Amino acid sequence: MPQYGSGLFVSIAHLIRGLFGGTTVTADVVMTVINSLIIWALIALAALSLILLERKVAGWMQLRTGPNRLGPRGWFQTVADAMKLLGKEDIFPAAADKWVFGLAPMFVIGLSVMVMAVIPYGKGMVPVDLNVGIFYLLAVSALTTIPFFMAGWGSNNKFALLGGMRAVAQMISYEIPLVFSLLGVVMITQTFKMSAIVNAQSHVWFILLQPLGFVVYTIAATAETNRAPFDLVEGESELTAGAFTEYTGMRWALFFLGEYANLFIVSAVAATVFLGGWQGPFLPGWIWFAIKVLFMVFLFLWFRWTFPRLRVDQLMHFGWKVLLPLSVANILLTGVGIYIYQLIYPAIGG
Amino acid sequence: MFGKGLAKGLGITFRHMFDKKITEFYPEDMPTLPPRTRSSLALNTPKCISCGMCSSACPNKVITLTTDKNESNKKFLTSYHMDLTRCLFCGLCTEACPTKALYTTTEFENAVYFREDMQWDMMQRYRDKVASGEIKEEVKPETKQEEAKDNG
Repeated sequence: MPQYGSGLFVSIAHLIRGLFGGTTVTADVVMTVINSLIIWALIALAALSLILLERKVAGWMQLRTGPNRLGPRGWFQTVADAMKLLGKEDIFPAAADKWVFGLAPMFVIGLSVMVMAVIPYGKGMVPVDLNVGIFYLLAVSALTTIPFFMAGWGSNNKFALLGGMRAVAQMISYEIPLVFSLLGVVMITQTFKMSAIVNAQSHVWFILLQPLGFVVYTIAATAETNRAPFDLVEGESELTAGAFTEYTGMRWALFFLGEYANLFIVSAVAATVFLGGWQGPFLPGWIWFAIKVLFMVFLFLWFRWTFPRLRVDQLMHFGWKVLLPLSVANILLTGVGIYIYQLIYPAIGG
Repeated sequence: MFGKGLAKGLGITFRHMFDKKITEFYPEDMPTLPPRTRSSLALNTPKCISCGMCSSACPNKVITLTTDKNESNKKFLTSYHMDLTRCLFCGLCTEACPTKALYTTTEFENAVYFREDMQWDMMQRYRDKVASGEIKEEVKPETKQEEAKDNG
């Protein structure tokens, strides 16, 4: 049962539910179908616009203008690129493991859809408001490692396999600081529920209470999405395109789509957990959410077009010897902080 | 301080975002090349005295010209041909030209689809340029004198 708020989309959802009798099973099924369609559309839209944004920002930072040919100021460039990818031949390498190779891109995009179902896009706009929201989100997004390795193994190609191995090593190493950095917030709010975490930030955003957590999360998320300076997984100078080397056409596009969906997801989680989610004055909640997500996305783009790539040993060193102790220290500090806070205000906290 | 360089790098890229972009929108805005650019060659036929010094100066034998003599035993051009497939645009021919009839231009759109299109008939190109109004036809001083003689 979604909560009924005052937003436009919530009213529409309420209206559609009303058509099918409010709380009946039919209404629930219809709403689930509509929600999942919206999430698919959101992924496609996010990927198209984020790829364009990435190319534009990259251009601006390098004193270029970025794509500028198709449509006003080149805004339709990614649409044309998507059309091109749809029309390309779907090649299976002769030595590839057909099933593993073919399923990997679908798993990537499927996991992204599963994760996006629990993100609160606005007040009362959570497609599925799970009690274990953030736990589920981390668990499912951690699975993204597997399709990468499937792609690397299934391709039967040395570059792809190396890329897949690196993906596993990197994503598992950085999963730990990522989870620990979010743990501080969970300790404060005493809940895994995404909407409750947003509600807890009505007075103060958790970026102010958890600055270290936010920094660790941002760095770990950059590594988790395989973006520069942690893009060793597909370091083109070493591995051509890593696990994607053998992919063509739509299968490759699905990986690309998943990559940008993941960028959207980590930005959305940062916005939800640290930047107050849809909370904000004057504007409707979903606009605030969009603004915060865009800010986080810009931050990741900014990193990508500023920092050079790390070496593999530096990456592992940084993950295990710097980020992990920092995230553990953050948990310790948060615990001590909560304890002191409870001594002062015994009524608050658990 | 540790991490200072990272912040500095971020600052630089952020400032560059708002700097003036240096992208040239080539087909829409033609770039203005420096005047001494040697990207194409042109012949001002009336100024040519058919001495053949350009073809001797050329390191790649690009230029072949044929001449004839008129009744007053004066040489004039009958054909002036350049094989652009071999030309390296060094400009030695223009330096050798005593009357500066042969000169380099800043035109750079010399790409063609067919190899034969790189055989340039320079006299024809001059006539085309005059016809399109790109340059004015120069009237030879001798011709003027002859005209004056005829009139007087």
